[in-house]
Amino acid sequence: MSWFNRLSNLLYREDLGRELDEELQFHIDARVRDNLNAGMTEEAARRDARRRFGNWTLAEEKTHEMNIIVTIQTVGQDLRYALRSLRKSPGFTALAVLAMALGIGANTAVFTVVNGVLLRPLPLVQPERLFLISYQPRLGPLAGKPSLSDHDYLEFQRRTHAFERVTTFGQDQVTLTGAGDAVRLPAALVTSSFFPAVRVSPAMGRTFASQEEQPGAPGVAVLSQELWRSRFAADPNILGKAISVNGIKRSVIGVMPAGFAFPGDAQLWLPLAVGADPLLSAYRPAFGRLRPSVTQRQAQAELETLVSHLPLAPGEHRNGWAAEVLRLQDLLVGGIRKSLLLFMGAVAFVLLIACANVANLLLVKASLRRQEMAVRTALGAPRSRLIRQLLTESAMLSLGGAIAGLLLAIFGVRALLALAPAGIIPRVAEIHLDARVIGFALGLGAVTGILFGLLPAVQATGWELRTFLSQAGRAVTGRSEGLRSLLVVSEIALTLVLLTGAGLLLKSFLRMRAVDPGFRAENVLTMTVDLPESLYNTTVSIQAFHARTLEKLSNLPGVLAAGAVNWLPLNGALMWGHFHIYGGPPMPPGYMLDKPAVSPEHFRVMGIPLLSGRAFSDQDSSTAPRVAIISRSVARTFWPGGDALGQRITLEDHPKPPVDWLTIIGVVDDVRQQSLTKKAHPAIYQPYAQVKRPFFLNHMTFAVRTARPASLVTAMRGALREVDRNQPVQSITVMTDLVATTTAESQFQTRLIAIFSMLALLLAAIGVYGVLACAVAERTREIGIRMALGAEKSDITRMVLRRSLLLVTVGVSLGVVGALAVTRVLARFLFEVKPTDLPTFLVVAALLVAVALLSGWLPARRATRVDPLIALRWE
Amino acid sequence: MRKHTNDRLQGTLDMLVLKVLASQGRMHGYAITLRIEQISASVLRLEEGSLYPALHRMTQSGWLRAEWGASENNRRARYYSITPSGRKQLAEEEQNWAQLTEAVTRVLRFV
Repeated sequence: MSWFNRLSNLLYREDLGRELDEELQFHIDARVRDNLNAGMTEEAARRDARRRFGNWTLAEEKTHEMNIIVTIQTVGQDLRYALRSLRKSPGFTALAVLAMALGIGANTAVFTVVNGVLLRPLPLVQPERLFLISYQPRLGPLAGKPSLSDHDYLEFQRRTHAFERVTTFGQDQVTLTGAGDAVRLPAALVTSSFFPAVRVSPAMGRTFASQEEQPGAPGVAVLSQELWRSRFAADPNILGKAISVNGIKRSVIGVMPAGFAFPGDAQLWLPLAVGADPLLSAYRPAFGRLRPSVTQRQAQAELETLVSHLPLAPGEHRNGWAAEVLRLQDLLVGGIRKSLLLFMGAVAFVLLIACANVANLLLVKASLRRQEMAVRTALGAPRSRLIRQLLTESAMLSLGGAIAGLLLAIFGVRALLALAPAGIIPRVAEIHLDARVIGFALGLGAVTGILFGLLPAVQATGWELRTFLSQAGRAVTGRSEGLRSLLVVSEIALTLVLLTGAGLLLKSFLRMRAVDPGFRAENVLTMTVDLPESLYNTTVSIQAFHARTLEKLSNLPGVLAAGAVNWLPLNGALMWGHFHIYGGPPMPPGYMLDKPAVSPEHFRVMGIPLLSGRAFSDQDSSTAPRVAIISRSVARTFWPGGDALGQRITLEDHPKPPVDWLTIIGVVDDVRQQSLTKKAHPAIYQPYAQVKRPFFLNHMTFAVRTARPASLVTAMRGALREVDRNQPVQSITVMTDLVATTTAESQFQTRLIAIFSMLALLLAAIGVYGVLACAVAERTREIGIRMALGAEKSDITRMVLRRSLLLVTVGVSLGVVGALAVTRVLARFLFEVKPTDLPTFLVVAALLVAVALLSGWLPARRATRVDPLIALRWE
Repeated sequence: MRKHTNDRLQGTLDMLVLKVLASQGRMHGYAITLRIEQISASVLRLEEGSLYPALHRMTQSGWLRAEWGASENNRRARYYSITPSGRKQLAEEEQNWAQLTEAVTRVLRFV
C-alpha cells in the first residue's frame, strides 16, 4: 500500500473502521463456534470468547492508532530518505532546484500579472453581468476599442430590452485648482445611469441626477475617497462645497467609497451630456447591466437586430461595421490580453524545457544508483515502494523549486512591471501575490514533480539484480541513454520554437524602428497645454495666448525655432474629416483625412520637408485670405499632374462662400500621424490663426527645436507660467521619447520573449552538455579501446561532436515543424515580417547548432584526454 | 529498514506472529491465536484483542501482507502472510532473542 493510499485511508476512517469491526467480530464468532463445538452452552461460549478477547474498544482504538502512526512514520521515512539522498549530491540538487525555480518562477510571475489583469473580477457589484455595447467600423482607428457613437447610444438606450440599464462614459485629464497647488487629475465623465449600472453607492452624499446631465445645469462633481482624503483633508462637511475643475466652479455632491476608481484611475466624476452637440457625435465606450436571465448571446442578437434599424444620415452607409456585446473586462484588458497569453505560452515552453532538464539529471542520477536499486529489489523491496521513494525525491525537488520560484516570481513581477512601458498593463494595483498565485506555483510544483519524476523512477527501478550482475558491474548504456537523447531532442525543438518567436518579434521591432515617420524627432522638445473653455472661450483669446507663448518660447536661449500644432503626430489623438474641391468631383466614399492646425514655424521645427509652394507665414493672419497646405498623398490622389497649388478647397460640409474656401499654397511630405506601423494619413494643414472654432484650438502642443532638448524643460515651463500662471502643463516630452513610446509595447514583447528564450537556450545547452558528458563517461572504456587500437584524438572529438550534431539536427528539424505551426499566433504582433520569415528561421537554427556544438565541445575534449591504459583498467 | 522501539513483550509477540506466519503461510487472526496457544502449550496466553494492533502495525510496516478472503465456513476474513522484509525482520528478531536468552542464561548460571 503506498502512502498516498494510506493518506486517503486517513480520510476514509469510517470505511476502515467498518473493516476492522468485521475482522474483530470474525475472531469472536470463530471462538464462540469452537467453544460451542467443545460443548459449552451458548452463554458460556460467548462469555469465554469475550473474556479471552479482552477489551474490545481498546483493541479497536489501538489498531486505529497503529494505522495512523505508521502512516505518518512511513511518510516521514520517505521524506527523510529523500532529503538524505538529495543532501548527498548537493550539486545535483542545486542544479535541479535552480532549473525548476527558473521555470516555475517565470510562470508564476506571468501568472501573477494574468491573475491581476484578466482573472480578478472588476471591483464592481456583479461585474459578470456588465457588458460592453459596441458598434463601429471593423477596421480603422477605433478597431480594438469597443465604442458606440453618441447618436447610436441614445437610440440603443431607448430601444433595448436586454439591458436593464445602459451608460456611457468618457475619460479625461482635468485641472483641479483651489485645493492646494493646481493639479492634473484623471477624471471620468459619466451619465447619471453610470453609478446605478455598476451598483456602487457613494460613501457620502449622492451621485448624479438626470437633470444634472443637461447643458447649463449647475456644475456638480463626485470625489474619490482618495482625492477627498489627500486634497480635502477628509473634510466631513465637504458636501455642497465648491471646487474648481478646469476653471469651472462645481459643488461636491458625493464621495465614493475607498478603492473605487472605475473607469481607469478616476479621481473625480463629472456629469456627461450625451449628444448635446448635434454636429459632433463622439465615440465612447458604452456598457450596461443585463436583465436577470438574459444571456450575452441574446443581448448580442438584440443588438444586431437594433443596429440594422438605426437611422442613417443621407448618403451614409455602414458596410464593414461590427455590432458586438463584450465582457466589460475586455475594455480594460483588450490590448494586453493577447500579449499576456503570448507570454504565458512562452513561459510554459521554458517550464517544459526545465522539466526535461531535471528529468535528464534524474536519469543520470538513477543510472548511478542502479546497483542500489537492484540490490533493494533483490532484498524484497516491492517496485512500487522504490518508485514511491524516487517520486518523493522528485516531488521534494519540484516543491523546493516551487518555493524558490515563488520568491523569484516576487522579483520577477517587479522586473516585468518595470520593463513594461507606462500605461500598457492595466489594473497594476491589483497585481500582487494572492492565494491563487501561491496555489498556482505549488500546483505547478506538484504536477511537474510527477511529470519529470515518473519516467526516471519507472526506468530506474526496472532492473533485476540478475541482469545487473550478469553484466559484471559494467556500465549499462542503451535504454536510459536513448531516453536522455529523446529528452534533449525535445528540449532543442522547444527552444527553437521560442527562439524563432523571439527572432521574429525582434526583426519586426527593428523594422518598426526603421520606419521614417516623415518628420525629424531629434532635438525637439514638446509641451502640451489644454486651455479650459471656461477661461478661454473665444478664438481670439486662445490665439492671443498661443501667440504670446510662441513669442516667449522663441526668445528662450538655445531655441532655434518654436512652433505649435493642435494634434501632435504619434500623440494618440485623432481628428478626422472630409474635404471638398471647388468645382471638383465628390469625394470617394470613406475618404477621410487629418486636419491639423499649425503655427507658421511648425514644419521647420518638426523637420517636415516642404515639397512645393511655400510654408505658412505671419501674413496668413485671421484677416488674410484663407490658405491651406496639403500633404503629398492628397496632392498625388487629387492632382496627379502636380497642379495642386492655387486650387481651392473647403473643410466644411456646407461651405459659405467665400470665407470657407481655402487656397492651396504648398505641399509637404506625409507624416505618420497615428503610429509608426500605420500608413501615413492624408492631411490638410491650416494656419492656426485662421481657425474659427475654439474646439480645434484649446488643445495645443508647442514644439521647439534646440540643440539640447532635455536642458530646456524648466525654461519652457517658466515661459508658460509667465503667460498664464494658472495653466498647468499637461505633458512635456522630448519628441524622440514620444516616438519610442509608440514602439514601446513591441519592445516590451520582444524583450520579454527574448529573455524567456535565452533562458530556454541556457537550459537546452546544459541539457546537451549533460547528455554528452554522461555518454563520454559511460563510454570511457570504449574510447580507451578505440585509442589503444590507434584512433586519433581528432577521431574521438569527431565521434562525440557527431553525436551532438545528430541530436541538434533532429531537434532543430522537429523544432522547425513546431515553429511553423506555432509562430502563426504571432502574426498580429508582427510588422512587415511574415511568421514564416526564412532568414529568421535560418539564423535561429544556426544559433542553436552553434550552441549545441559548443556545449558538446567540453565533453569531446574530455574524451580525447582518456588514457587508454587507465580506461581499460577502470572497470 | 526501520525498527520500532519495541519493548521486549511487544517484540516477542511480533516475533511469534512472524514465526507462525513464516512456517504456516496465509492465516487469519483467530488462527494465529490458536496456533500460538497450541505450540506454547497454552503457556503463552495473550489477551486476544491485543493481537490486532500488532497485526495492523506490522502490515503497515511492510512485514505482513493482508488481504480479504473466505474462511473455512465461508465467512469473509482478513488473511495475513509474511513478506520478504518480514522474513528479514524475523531473522533479526530471532538473532536478538538468541543473544538475549544466551546472555540471561549465562548470568543465571554464574550468579
